Amino acid sequence: MSDPPGRDQNRPYHLHRRDFLKWSAVAGGSALVVGGLGAGLPLLRGPRLPWDIEEPGVPAPGPVRLTGGEWIPAACWHNCGGQRCLLAAYVVDGQVLAVKSDDTQPDTPHAPQMRACARGRAQEGQVFGPDRLRHPMKRRNWQPGGGRRELRGMDEWERISWDEALDLTAAELERILGEHGNESILELGSTLRHLFTGLGGAVINWGSTSWGTWLDTGPMIGLGDGLSRTSHNDRLDLQNCELIVLWGGNPAWSAQGNTMYYYLQARRAGAKFIFIDPYYNDSAMTLADEWVPVRPGTDHALALGMAYTLLDEDDPQHNPLIDWDFLNRCTVGFDREHMPAGAHPDDNVRDYVLGRRDGVPKTPEWAARTCGVSAPRIRRLARRIARTRRTALLTAWAPARTHDSDSWPQMFLTLGCMMGHLGQTGRMTGVSCWERTADGGPFLIGPGGSGVPPLRGAPRRTTARINNSELWDAVLEGEYTAREGDRRSIDLRAIVHDGASALNQVSGLLKGIEAHRRVEFVLTLNFVYNTNARYSDVVLPVTTQWERHSYFKGNRSHLTWARQVVEPQYEARDDSWIAAELGRRLGLDPAEMLPLSPEQEEFNRLAGAWVVGPQGQGRERLVTITEEDIREMGVQGQPQKGRITLAEFREKGIYVVPRRPGDGLGHIAFEAFRKDPRGHPLSTPSGRFELHCQTIADHVRSVGFSRIDPIPVYRPPAEGYEETFDDFERGIKGPFPLQLMTLHYRRRTHSVFDNVAWLREAFPQEFIMNTLDAEARNLATGDIVLIRSRHGAVLRPVFVTERIMPGVVALGEGAWADVDPGTGLDRAGATNVLNGARPTGQGHQGWNTCVVEVTPYRGPIRLQADWRQPPRMPQGAV
Amino acid sequence: MAAPLGFRMDASACIGCRSCVIACKSKNGLPPGTHFRRIIEYGGGTWIPDPEDPTLLAPSGIFAYCLSLSCLHCEEPACVPACPTQAIQQRPDGIVLIDSGRCTGCRYCEWACPYGALAFDSSTGRMIKCDLCVDLVDGGEEPWCVTSCVTRALEVGPIQELRARHGQLDALAPLPSGEQTLPRLVITPHPHGQPAGQGTGRSSNPERDLR
Repeated sequence: MSDPPGRDQNRPYHLHRRDFLKWSAVAGGSALVVGGLGAGLPLLRGPRLPWDIEEPGVPAPGPVRLTGGEWIPAACWHNCGGQRCLLAAYVVDGQVLAVKSDDTQPDTPHAPQMRACARGRAQEGQVFGPDRLRHPMKRRNWQPGGGRRELRGMDEWERISWDEALDLTAAELERILGEHGNESILELGSTLRHLFTGLGGAVINWGSTSWGTWLDTGPMIGLGDGLSRTSHNDRLDLQNCELIVLWGGNPAWSAQGNTMYYYLQARRAGAKFIFIDPYYNDSAMTLADEWVPVRPGTDHALALGMAYTLLDEDDPQHNPLIDWDFLNRCTVGFDREHMPAGAHPDDNVRDYVLGRRDGVPKTPEWAARTCGVSAPRIRRLARRIARTRRTALLTAWAPARTHDSDSWPQMFLTLGCMMGHLGQTGRMTGVSCWERTADGGPFLIGPGGSGVPPLRGAPRRTTARINNSELWDAVLEGEYTAREGDRRSIDLRAIVHDGASALNQVSGLLKGIEAHRRVEFVLTLNFVYNTNARYSDVVLPVTTQWERHSYFKGNRSHLTWARQVVEPQYEARDDSWIAAELGRRLGLDPAEMLPLSPEQEEFNRLAGAWVVGPQGQGRERLVTITEEDIREMGVQGQPQKGRITLAEFREKGIYVVPRRPGDGLGHIAFEAFRKDPRGHPLSTPSGRFELHCQTIADHVRSVGFSRIDPIPVYRPPAEGYEETFDDFERGIKGPFPLQLMTLHYRRRTHSVFDNVAWLREAFPQEFIMNTLDAEARNLATGDIVLIRSRHGAVLRPVFVTERIMPGVVALGEGAWADVDPGTGLDRAGATNVLNGARPTGQGHQGWNTCVVEVTPYRGPIRLQADWRQPPRMPQGAV
Repeated sequence: MAAPLGFRMDASACIGCRSCVIACKSKNGLPPGTHFRRIIEYGGGTWIPDPEDPTLLAPSGIFAYCLSLSCLHCEEPACVPACPTQAIQQRPDGIVLIDSGRCTGCRYCEWACPYGALAFDSSTGRMIKCDLCVDLVDGGEEPWCVTSCVTRALEVGPIQELRARHGQLDALAPLPSGEQTLPRLVITPHPHGQPAGQGTGRSSNPERDLR
């Protein structure tokens, strides 16, 4: 359809009304009277033409599309970071005609419907997409042992039968296991976990991908990681805030569903919002009263400048900025009078900030040079946040998804503790992102266990664990870091992608392709022809969640129960069936991999489902199950009384715990601890927040990549702002003068959904660049640019905007790599082509630190608009 | 006579997420390249040497907002008189509908509409457009765009009631002035909303094609 008005003045058909009338009169030859020329006049008919004999009546509405079918609660099953919404699919004769979301209850501010995002609503586009994998395939030039390995990613495919696919997969796994042992198989997903456990284990990957350094540092210093345990208050208490600081987060893109609605409710209740982020993102657009642009990877420096301001200006009598009572009672390590046992008294935060420890006072002037925020503004920011009593100091994981940022969560906590923004109504410090955005606290509802017993001999046996940032080097160089001072040899011969999307979604993608072309066998289980599948030898098509028996998922205050929507498409089979069939061929008991019927698993989850009692007291069963229900389901079990009937839950597919202020279901994080730290100690060794934390320093050291101090010392990150310079002191820029951020993009949940045309159309994979940087390179929106890092290069159209900080560029993560064989350039804009594998700290992925250069692309490659590109199909196997 | 219906669009709450766009596509079975509802992003501002530190750049007046638009079922729709076969007509409740039996696919209506609300269906050679989910509205339900909005920024109802509750504003930059067609639209402005015809920013079409 046409462009929105006002954008493209050159389009001939965006006529002004006067022009239209003139043109119309010529064409139609008859007078035309319209309201614009005489408001209030009756609307007359259009021009009378020779074939126009009958006077038209008001048209009848078109035929109703959605008729004769039924709505089935449908799964939205991806790792989306959103609220975990309910979908419903309209099914007629096994075909899905439309998808809607929660309309099972009235929509009220306190008990809102769990409405789905664009991606969930486009789910039909991937379940029934033209690129669904339809049958097992074998790469034409693969032979046991590898065949022509260099053709992976470019070879043609042959359709094979399930029997042939399972036989040759089992034979090749058996050969490799026999010749090279379990430590030669790299398993990068999890759906064949029981199979490999039964076979004696496989090599797996490890390392924080989403959390950044919050995964390990958060719990070790006394906060939560932000997912399994939260540190923020519940969504109704957010409405008690006077100020909400969102430091490095964009829930409008990365935590979809109701989360922005919850923040909007807080705004309507009077909260002001400060956004600290390199990008004036869509959440800031909607909520921000103040935007503080900060360079990626320098948040820690900004926080130090703020901490210095507080120490510099605090006067307990006349200008109280620091909550000394909180610091003294609830933390260790802030000053030499409050050190944990065994710590050197010089290793305290206060002396480090003031420069007594290293001779460098962390003044706002010191911080400004690194973080890009002026010193006066840093001072104002610190004062405003410290002086506003009911403040939520919230962050997302993105600033911690940078190299060498293991101390950043501790610095963030230090600021919160200095200001005392913890443990009271309207006051909180911590992570508010991903599924737990804007609603902290323990769950109020949940499903029961599946009842599937662990495999005999559980726990899972793994032969080696390789950090994500050493994964491809381990394949290519045969070495990896087991722990500090412990480098080990490894000889990997097979890669198994049983789920996940490792090739596309781990740093160093080009090296990953090289690694895939090195091994003897690559196996992928998937339902679409994604990057994993493309570089494999054997591809086995699996069912989507819409083709499986049932699915339970929820969040803090709701639980969804989705049912099977359609029969398995084409020849797709469940992963568990594949595991059993491979197991049978490899001498295992298939029953070990299919211990319960899907119906019994479903019953167990329903029977065990619980919901919190009134005023938060105790738990009750959620579902009433009758003898008749049990008979109809054909399962073993006992009848029970619960809050809703099985029939109601089945029909609606959702139960939402109603909320209202004062219902006893709210949550104030660390409330009891703040009141009585001795009586309610934290799980840290000191029982308090550890601003000096030997645990995290020891942990990082033991991993073997780098070392940190026990207090939050700023370390210039690998591939951070400092590395955009050849000579930082003299301000001379280097060959990669721009900082790249990789965003959770609205088109996808990580790499999932990248193939859906509706979403490709709605959200083009474009490269975001500031106006000044674009002008310096003579670039305009839509130009194709070449983006180069030390690790690879991609082509993308540029989108020029003032909304991103000069010197910073951004690209959405998860596009399916499309590497041009001739040039090695990736045409899709896969960010892991640009992000190199750089193991640091606790072994997290540091995606938001990467330095690049951008130039106009004048080579031969042409790019079509994303949604006009034909779907990526396996060549040869029809 | 049925009270004419219209939309209220809260630009201060719209996050540009396109839930409404995809819900509309799903409801109406629309292929890529065709839509009844779109998001228009508009923004501007600039970067200047930081007045407090000339070694840095500072944002100056940077703003952005989104508008969610479909057919606005105008009081004086430009598409109706533009149609040479009188295929487009308005019901008493204001819903503008196309009689596909009369439509010849000449696309004059598409040219006439200042909101870009009509779409050409290449599979049938006829024009198609938002019908306000008339099948639902006639049964007392709400259109899918409204019930899909995650920030509750869209509302449908008798336009007189919406105007009484939310005011008379029917345009923000980059939309044309409402005087042209008298759209049945009430906009709650974004705090940075700029008047139609006087905007200092520019729109960034979400369907940006490559050149």
